[in-house]
Amino acid sequence: MTLAIASALALIVLAVGLAACGGTTGGGGNTGEIETAKAGPVEGKLTISNWPGYIAPGDHGTVAEFERKTGVNVSYIEDVNETESFFSKMQPLLEQGESGGRSLYVVADYMAKMQHDLGYLQNIKKSDIPTVFENLLPSLRSPDFDPNREFSVPWQSGMTGIWVDTSKAPEIHSINDLFDSKYAGKITMLGELRETVPLVMLAEGIDPAKASTDQWLHAIERIKDAASSGQIRHFTGNEYTEDLNAGNIVAAIGWSGDSSLIENENAEWRMPTQGCTMWSEDMVIPVGAPNTAAALEWMNFVYQPKIAADITDYVQYISPVSGVQELLKERGSELANSQIVFPTEQFTRKCTGQNSPPDLEPVNEAWQEVITG
Amino acid sequence: MSLRQRLVPYWLLGPGLLWLIIFFVVPMYFMGELALRTGNLTTGFTFNWEWSNFPDSLSGHTEQIWRSFYYAGTATLLALLIGYPLAYAIAFRAGRFKQLLLFAVIAPFFTTYLVRTIAWKTILSDSSPVVSVLQTLSILPPNGRLLATSTAVIAGLTYNFLPFMILPLYANLERLDLRLIEAAKDLYSSSTQAFLKVTLPLTMPGIVAGVLLTFIPAFGDYINAQILGGTQQAMVGNVIQSLYLVQRNYPEAAALSFLMMGLILAIVVIYIRFAGTGAFMGDEEEETA
Repeated sequence: MTLAIASALALIVLAVGLAACGGTTGGGGNTGEIETAKAGPVEGKLTISNWPGYIAPGDHGTVAEFERKTGVNVSYIEDVNETESFFSKMQPLLEQGESGGRSLYVVADYMAKMQHDLGYLQNIKKSDIPTVFENLLPSLRSPDFDPNREFSVPWQSGMTGIWVDTSKAPEIHSINDLFDSKYAGKITMLGELRETVPLVMLAEGIDPAKASTDQWLHAIERIKDAASSGQIRHFTGNEYTEDLNAGNIVAAIGWSGDSSLIENENAEWRMPTQGCTMWSEDMVIPVGAPNTAAALEWMNFVYQPKIAADITDYVQYISPVSGVQELLKERGSELANSQIVFPTEQFTRKCTGQNSPPDLEPVNEAWQEVITG
Repeated sequence: MSLRQRLVPYWLLGPGLLWLIIFFVVPMYFMGELALRTGNLTTGFTFNWEWSNFPDSLSGHTEQIWRSFYYAGTATLLALLIGYPLAYAIAFRAGRFKQLLLFAVIAPFFTTYLVRTIAWKTILSDSSPVVSVLQTLSILPPNGRLLATSTAVIAGLTYNFLPFMILPLYANLERLDLRLIEAAKDLYSSSTQAFLKVTLPLTMPGIVAGVLLTFIPAFGDYINAQILGGTQQAMVGNVIQSLYLVQRNYPEAAALSFLMMGLILAIVVIYIRFAGTGAFMGDEEEETA
């Protein structure tokens, strides 16, 4: 009997000892210097994580072409569904200096910056990605969050505005219209703080880039009232497209390029009267990424105008690659004339970037209380 | 008995025990330790016996906790009301269709839980036949809806956890000695009396097991509220998910999980006491019967 107890105790000690090697502490615990992604021979296996529907699919799609050209075996996973929860999933791994086998993934600007600050991303040498800097749009070359493009390479950009079912609510043009009680229960908004709240602030005439914590909280309060009164049906990620397809809603706050996911013929993306939010997403190379040479080659590959045009043709977001509009025009694509895919400065003059509140914690907490109402 | 023989049960216990230690005891320890830390991602989380995480994690979330009780409780009751007659019918009246019906109960498990719940989104959508029939019958107001309401969440929970109610009930009913009911009738009890005095008490173990297997996962569920609910249907599982995956407030998420675990444990203990330990553990009645 005592022997059994003793052996059980020994097992516990052993197990605790084993597990002690892997506690999560957080705090950018990666030691010291930020690494630079290594170039080298392009071969082997490459794992990429991205959002769903964000690349040209199929046998002649981007991944297939890349594999054919380089001989690299690509595992392309569409497992990014929300900026925040994808990071939360990755964080314990990144903290250990691991990427879960991923060589590259796509995240929003602010998230790329946050991860870089925490020491979770590798730097990228300009000379390793010549095609990128040959073709990158001048306007995207030195963003505030990464002025020298040291760790981020733009993937696609887009706008957040209003998807309207024109057969049911043709008169919705402003974010303020979404609060009109005649659409009660027929409206959805995005669950991401930096998408929805700045749009509401714009509608109130506040510049989100300069907004105080109180102004953020005030806008959140307005959304909260609309949620508890039943005006807002749901806070969503990509699934607002399903609600539009099923006819459950008449309008949604949503992303400009989602027409590939929307089958409702009457659905139309509209620039809100008081302006949209504009965002950009980047390819980044995480710490512990295997085969960074292939990841760098991937970046070069997708920055060839022809390949970029194929991607734009399918995803219908804003390409960071110059020459895409001309190529699409040559191909006779209607997209070449679309303000949504190639917005002019005049079209986006009232828009704002993807702003973070001055003091994130209280604002995010208030927002999450609305989301989990 | 030699020492070797006496050790056999412990060796048999070994693999299960090791499994529990590695995948239950150790994670529990780390979660408990995490619940007592403070900090954030940038500064790191430091361990300093931060007991205030526990009350903090409750503040602002009591509504979701009550809602979880209400949803899980209603779903369990509905599952019992639907499941008991069904299990009874399969056990005693199904004849040669018994296996087929049992298979039908388990069949939904061949599809993943997530896909089944998403399917309900289509079934309950605003323009679905279900909604229009209910509107025609004036059960729903003309512009009423099912999706993104409490009804949808409770319906989803009931559907998803129903097999966990039916299977223990069936296993229990199937072993019921029908001669006891005959004997009750011989002693002039009506069918209702026989059911209440013989069948029901003898199937209490199945009911207790079914209720626990339904209520516990339903209470912690967050998928149904997320997919079928709207803005006012979040359950405590959604709060924990948000704390952990969006706000990355790991200590409070761990503290809230612990509190919910304690709460459920307390409820289960009280429930088993109330329903009779015998009925759950050893069923003395059945052995003497």
